[in-house]
Amino acid sequence: MSQRAPAFPNTPARRRPSAVWKVLTSTDHKSIGLTYMGVAAVFLVLGGLEALVMRLQLAVPGNRLLAGETYDRFLTMHGTTMIFFVLLPLLLGFTNYLLPLQIGARDMAFPRMNAFSLWLLVGGGLLLYLSPFTGAPSQGWFSYAPLSETPFTPQRGVDLWSAALIVGGYGTTLTAVNVLVTGARLRMRGMLYKRLPMFAWMSWINGFIILFALPCLTAVLLMLEVDRLLGAGLFTRGDPVLWQHYFWLFGHPEIYLLILPAWGLISEIIPVFSRKPIFGYEFVAWSTVAIAFLSFAVYAHHMFAVGLGWPVELAFGTTSMLIAIPTGIKVFNWLATMWKGSVRYTLPMLYAAAFIVQFTFGGVSGVTFAVVPIDWQLTDTYYVVAHFHYVLFGGSLFAVLAGLHYLYPKFTGRFLDERLGRWGFWLNVIGFNGVFLVQHLLGLMGMPRRVYTYPDLPGWRALNLFSTVSGFVLGVGLLLLLINLVRSRTHGRPAGRDPWNGWTLEWLTDSPPKEGNFSLLPPLHSRRPLWDLKHPDDMDHLRPRRHDKNGHIREEERGHQ
Amino acid sequence: MTAVPSDRASRTHLGMLAFLASDAVIFLLMLVSNIYLRRSEAHGGQTLLEPGRMLVFSVLLWGSSGVLLLAERQRGRGDRVGAGALYLVTALLGAVFALAQGLEWRSLAAQGGTISSSLFFSTFYTTTGLHGLHVLLGLPVLLALALLSWTGQIGRRAPGVAAAVLYWHFVDAVWLVLYVVFYVWRGP
Repeated sequence: MSQRAPAFPNTPARRRPSAVWKVLTSTDHKSIGLTYMGVAAVFLVLGGLEALVMRLQLAVPGNRLLAGETYDRFLTMHGTTMIFFVLLPLLLGFTNYLLPLQIGARDMAFPRMNAFSLWLLVGGGLLLYLSPFTGAPSQGWFSYAPLSETPFTPQRGVDLWSAALIVGGYGTTLTAVNVLVTGARLRMRGMLYKRLPMFAWMSWINGFIILFALPCLTAVLLMLEVDRLLGAGLFTRGDPVLWQHYFWLFGHPEIYLLILPAWGLISEIIPVFSRKPIFGYEFVAWSTVAIAFLSFAVYAHHMFAVGLGWPVELAFGTTSMLIAIPTGIKVFNWLATMWKGSVRYTLPMLYAAAFIVQFTFGGVSGVTFAVVPIDWQLTDTYYVVAHFHYVLFGGSLFAVLAGLHYLYPKFTGRFLDERLGRWGFWLNVIGFNGVFLVQHLLGLMGMPRRVYTYPDLPGWRALNLFSTVSGFVLGVGLLLLLINLVRSRTHGRPAGRDPWNGWTLEWLTDSPPKEGNFSLLPPLHSRRPLWDLKHPDDMDHLRPRRHDKNGHIREEERGHQ
Repeated sequence: MTAVPSDRASRTHLGMLAFLASDAVIFLLMLVSNIYLRRSEAHGGQTLLEPGRMLVFSVLLWGSSGVLLLAERQRGRGDRVGAGALYLVTALLGAVFALAQGLEWRSLAAQGGTISSSLFFSTFYTTTGLHGLHVLLGLPVLLALALLSWTGQIGRRAPGVAAAVLYWHFVDAVWLVLYVVFYVWRGP
């Protein structure tokens, strides 16, 4: 009767960890970076749908689709989602993915803390979307006290909202610690600060902004909760303007921390697709440092209508104008990089070009707010809404989309579909500008922001309807992009290691890079290690100047496309 | 490219330094709110505090930083048992301070000095509470250091210990500022 059975019948050799489990437990910076982006995509869909419903409400005067506080709830969730759980994770995702690759490191400085940061941010997002079940927050993402205090918004959702931002904020702070130490300690031999790729440089500086801006938010949210939960009254019996000071001491640098890595991506893309090294590397780099400092020094320009007194308003008006200088330096350097280059209008470059136009537009309308009387006139109108969407959507998000198209071959080993991509691009550009360009006019006509409806005044109906219709065009454009992202993962044209003929180290590795990133690193003597590898006869550090005396790129360089 | 221990230690140390810089901003803003909001109150109940009694416990807390310095010296000499004992003493001093603070809160509340009684006490409880939380978070870390030291799991060049030590010194240094602002200084 003895029957030899296999040692473990019906047991497969060993259960292989599923792909989901791998993502959930990974400490690899590339996996974490991509997870950040995936999480951001989910929240982008949520925040985008909220925006579309709001635009539906505003399509015609006197609409009752989202009447009263319901509209405020959508407004709060949309703003909070987009700022904290879409743009921030997108940029942190790029930083996580790209920073170690660009500086020739195997991983971030603290891989396990890196995973912890990611899941803190995801936890924050979940808390935010639990809040509607306890009474959705309706106090706006700025949460001005005393509006956010218990007498005016008693629902518990506000407390969950605060908790979401504190939890997510700690995740981001820890990421900043990780980025700073990675940039300071893990650069490969020869990767001096003056040779850092632009994206690495700007992400590193961004670490400092995050490190000092986010605790301001944490502090003020703690104080708000002390008021709401323990009845302290810091902003009611105390001073509601204190809320605004602390909040904008975080809030203004926040705008810059949402754009610095985006600028970094643009500063990588434009040189590669213009076939020229970035013009004025030192200026681009040091203007970033200047912006990091100034971003804190301009915060009170959000409060000109509070009545701070002339000396304070003049001082902050001046600093707000000053910050246009380092920002303008960047724009001019990008343009100078494209000038007389051989520009290839691939998808990443198209998005980068759209970024420059739209971001500059948003920057210029930003300068108008530094003029105190203009600010008094235009504050809390749709002009402000138009301005910050031009900066954060037309600027940050378009730069991210440029980066996404640029790095998709590295993420997946395949190109995004060109035809679908171009359709998406034009729908996005037309849709975005259609939504927000007309809002400048609405603002100048006096249409207030943060209201759920408006009277049927001359021009308001047509412009609002135009804005709403454009919103749906934009929605279709983003939907095409999502389809492209999913479809090209399996159907895209194979890309290889270095599809764009790039110059920085990330293009040296496989696509997608394996764990540990590099098997062998080349000696590094210049800012363009891959140029040196491809052109051993014409290495950067062995030639005196890259530009001729007129500032044009030298002839030899053009020959090496 | 494997990291040598000293490199990892310096990494952890630098990371902790960055985190504490960020943490310091929270304390700074809370102190500023106390100083700023005091203008609107006559004294806000600050007279209920007893600087003399709290000074005794504050000295214990500051002394714990000294003990920690001694512990680090013993660790540097390879004296695991001595270092572990000194880590434990550091933790005990911190625990006594936390207990004293809890008792002080109770007696203040009994005298009517609650978080909602005045703006001074609102900021007092918020700020000292946040500091107390830092003390409480430090205690298990110090206990872990003691245990690891006794079981021989941290030697002379253990990465991470320097970061924990830095954290504790930071907590003590913050208390120095808090003590002066809340207990000694009589306001603007």
